[in-house]
Amino acid sequence: MIISRHKEFKGLLKAVREQDIFIIGCGKCATKQHVGGEPEVLEMKRKLRGSGKNVVGWTVLSSACNLSSWDEVLSQNPDIRKAEALLVMSCGGGVSIISSVTGLAVYPALDTESLGGVCNDAVVMEQCGMCGECDIQVFGGKCPLGQCPKGMLNGPCGGAVEGKCEVDERKCVWDEIYERQKSLGRLEDIKHIHGPKDHSKRGRRD
Amino acid sequence: MSFRKKLLSGKFTVTAEISPPKGTDISGMMKEARTIKDAVDAFSVTDNQRAIMRMSPLAACSALSREGLETIMHLTCRDRNRLALQSELLGAAFLGIKNVVVMSGDHPTKGDHPGSKPVYDLDSVQLLDMISRLNSGVDISGNGLEGKTEFFAGAVSNTELTGAALMKLEKKIKAGAQFIITQAVFDAGKFSEFRDKVHDACGKQIKIIAGIIPLRSEKSALFLNKNIAGVKVPDEVIRRITAAGNPEAVGPESAGIEIAAELIKELRGVCDGVHIMPIGTHKNTGKILEMAGI
Repeated sequence: MIISRHKEFKGLLKAVREQDIFIIGCGKCATKQHVGGEPEVLEMKRKLRGSGKNVVGWTVLSSACNLSSWDEVLSQNPDIRKAEALLVMSCGGGVSIISSVTGLAVYPALDTESLGGVCNDAVVMEQCGMCGECDIQVFGGKCPLGQCPKGMLNGPCGGAVEGKCEVDERKCVWDEIYERQKSLGRLEDIKHIHGPKDHSKRGRRD
Repeated sequence: MSFRKKLLSGKFTVTAEISPPKGTDISGMMKEARTIKDAVDAFSVTDNQRAIMRMSPLAACSALSREGLETIMHLTCRDRNRLALQSELLGAAFLGIKNVVVMSGDHPTKGDHPGSKPVYDLDSVQLLDMISRLNSGVDISGNGLEGKTEFFAGAVSNTELTGAALMKLEKKIKAGAQFIITQAVFDAGKFSEFRDKVHDACGKQIKIIAGIIPLRSEKSALFLNKNIAGVKVPDEVIRRITAAGNPEAVGPESAGIEIAAELIKELRGVCDGVHIMPIGTHKNTGKILEMAGI
């Protein structure tokens, strides 16, 4: 799941130059995280109207990043034709896909942060470093590239204090990786030297 | 005798940490170095320490070497990718820098450019491994070099080690670290336990240099405990510094000098050298070493 958060409304309002706005929400990650589902789209509509914008319509697509046909979206939401701009409440992937099929100005309502998930009703951020060469099984199922702010592949840095990361309130993922591998009897997997990542594999287009 | 030769021959070494200027004027740094040059074997020169932007250690080391002072260049993984790290190392070798000490580097959010991109293309184990390759005449991609490096490489460590931290230290040594400089030590007994642990896990060939921060006040001790990962000033040391602040006592700074000198005396039999990392200036370093009998 792509983790996104609301932009600050004042800044968003300042960025949107057009008057007639159509709002698009997303039925996948943004809905699950309560940042781009129907209630949030309706709240955005209320706030935009309250700030003097003309909201010509709104919809929540089943998935903003997975469009089979823009014509279909237009036929189901003819009010889009009245709009000067689209405000998209999805991750950057959805915003980009929609931008590529419409000639209208497109604005993101969210800031996209990381690849994470929702577990036991809590949003978990930065679970995967998206390296293009996954070997998470040797790290106890925890991605050090995504979950360590320094992406360390061979063990913790010296910045953790009593299991707490130097950067913020998170736990040091390397203690968790070590304990998990130990309990699985697979410390050997992390005891050998792991070479650096091959960054040419990231986002590769073959 | 060079730092490398002295350390490897089993003689006790003394090194001092020095920071490049925040700016282009090196006169302050040079003055600091000159005041203690006869008391130390080498100066370790920090690399944007605590993620605060300063002059590059390569340039600062070069300035110190021009005056005949031996240096240990710090190199962090924070600011450069593998291309930049290698070209920096080749440049350092060309300029006559013989020793490097590598570390992950404090995260940019801890310093004065919190919005900068954290690089960490390599970690400290991979960086040490890369230095070993440059020393053998090939780069990290396996290409041959016209002229290889001959670095004496080291790493850093906290003295309280979790299982994961000890595992990483073992890997640093396997990857080519020949010496370890520790975070500041305040308890010689605990330090001995650390040394034994490292010797058991990694073998006795690794040279261990104990970090020393001379305290200057109760405030400085509390600051270290609160802000510097891996440093623990024990309560009894803090009490001694506080008591020294009474009107009839020696004063906190003098007590800090005494504590550091006593610690060095105790550590002399337990480790291969000491590394003085003062808060601010080296004005007391000479006195500390003299009191410690070095």
